[in-house]
Amino acid sequence: MRDGATIFEDPAFQAMLKKRSRLRWGFSISLIGAYIGYGIIGLQIPDAYATSFFGSSMPWGMALGFILIGSSIVMSVLYVRIINRLEADNDFVTRHRE
Amino acid sequence: MNESGPNVTAMVVFIGFITLSLFITWWAAKKTRSAGEFYTAGGKITGFQNGLALAGDFMSAATFLGLTGLAFIGGTDGMLFTVGVTVSWAFILFAFSDRMRNLGQFTFADVVAYRLHPEKLRTLAAVGTLTVALPYLIAQMVGAGSLVEALFDIPYIAAVMIVGTLMTVYVVFGGMLATTWVQVTKAVLLLCGGTALLVLVLAQFGYSLDALFSRAAEVHSKGEGIFRPGGLYNDPISVVSLALAFVCGTAGLPHVLMRFFTVPDATEARRSIGYAVVIIGYFQAAIILIGFGAIAVLTGQEEYVSESGHIAGGANMVSIHLSRAVGGEVFFGLIAAVAFATILAVVAGILLSAAAGVAHDFYARVVRKGDISDQDEVSVTRWATIVIGATAIVLSVFFRDVNVGVLSAIALAIAASVNFPAIFLVLFWKDLTTRGAIAGGVSGLVVVLVLVTLSPTIWVDVLGYEEAIFPYAYPTLFSVTTAFVVTIAVSLMDHSERAKIDRSAYPQQIVRSELGVDL
Repeated sequence: MRDGATIFEDPAFQAMLKKRSRLRWGFSISLIGAYIGYGIIGLQIPDAYATSFFGSSMPWGMALGFILIGSSIVMSVLYVRIINRLEADNDFVTRHRE
Repeated sequence: MNESGPNVTAMVVFIGFITLSLFITWWAAKKTRSAGEFYTAGGKITGFQNGLALAGDFMSAATFLGLTGLAFIGGTDGMLFTVGVTVSWAFILFAFSDRMRNLGQFTFADVVAYRLHPEKLRTLAAVGTLTVALPYLIAQMVGAGSLVEALFDIPYIAAVMIVGTLMTVYVVFGGMLATTWVQVTKAVLLLCGGTALLVLVLAQFGYSLDALFSRAAEVHSKGEGIFRPGGLYNDPISVVSLALAFVCGTAGLPHVLMRFFTVPDATEARRSIGYAVVIIGYFQAAIILIGFGAIAVLTGQEEYVSESGHIAGGANMVSIHLSRAVGGEVFFGLIAAVAFATILAVVAGILLSAAAGVAHDFYARVVRKGDISDQDEVSVTRWATIVIGATAIVLSVFFRDVNVGVLSAIALAIAASVNFPAIFLVLFWKDLTTRGAIAGGVSGLVVVLVLVTLSPTIWVDVLGYEEAIFPYAYPTLFSVTTAFVVTIAVSLMDHSERAKIDRSAYPQQIVRSELGVDL
């Protein structure tokens, strides 16, 4: 059994780390960025948010909010699936979990 | 508000819930012996159950009653809250779920103390736990007391005693297992109740969202203005502060973080937070629609909302009024009882996290330095639960007139400024040192307390000064930034012997946090 420091140096471990970090921060930053953007744009051009969303009586501001809630749900389901597959396919992980 | 005496349906549902929850506690008590069973139900909760419990932890009275009220008053501005809640949970899933579960055992302090000086970090974590849990607990209990007083004609003090005693009983006898199942039961009740309320509201408008929104704009005093953001928040700093309070605050709540450890492994932890995001997202979307439904239905009905826009019983009563307006006395009783069950389940979870912070993190690990038997630790936790429960009851009676929203906002700001920076940096930044983490946590706490005192909510509304020294309602942007800057700066300047140990253990920690095995 190797110790933590040597596994950390292992290129296979580093590759997995990189893949997971990309997923982790890619998802986090895009979602939080979209949320902060949503709030700031609402302040800058409030009138645009009050206009009708494609002819319905739902305003744009609310429709975008629902889209953000929906995106959070979709991205969460995706994240769980991707990571689960990543772990199952990665024999580096499975080997060390023995 | 209830001329015909207490509502019979509310009484029946409520007594039914209490009976069921005590039965759950009795069942759980037989299975709760060791410290592991007490704090985390032995790690045997499934992903779906834990997802419901996590969602239940967050669907507190503040979200169900408070956010509907906010949507009623602020229109589209309420959306900023509901979206923020959902986004923050997705962020917890992406950034925290795997690593937290793999590193910790009972509380989030296990994670921050993994490679940093254990006693110092656990003391900080215990402070971070108590300063978040107590205001949160009091806010919920004051809300519960006022709600029960209004609904059942029970005096406020008696109501607070009932809530306080029940939550203490759940935790002392049933530990995490009872707390989780009470939370799951309540989450199912609340989801069903909220959905039924939404369906009944939509039925009023022939199940057409179009008709609902048109009607809301038609009757509201601001007209189409309710669709225009900016009524509640009109500067970018407040918006960003609010966003940070949600994202970082939720990820720093001790009772939420503790739930990561009730499942067997990181895969289940991920799955459970995934379920939580789906449930919370659905519920938040429903709340916004219920809020606009309340505008459309209640406006103009004198018994609920006066001509000047004053809501009978305060903004928190919006969903309760709405349930009566669309569903009659029986449905009103049902929703009222569900709202109360909600508070009861949430306070039990917070109480358990506070007791674990005192007994496990501070007493067992700092005072006794881990030299304590399992049985002794469990009995210390039980006593801590009783003491904290009693303290919360006394403080809730004393702080009866406190603004519940302000108190929860302060708790969330402390979670964001004290707990979150330490957890985030210990997980992702190799140069974090013990000295840096302590300095950052302390400065975060100080900045929150100072800024809240100088803000309009305390300085003007409570202390009665003309103008606030700190003009924004939320301190999070400044306090979180301070905590991060101080932590990073102090860590970088730290050349002590301990700092070498802190940094050199990072690779080991990463391997363990990614693979979930001790090497």
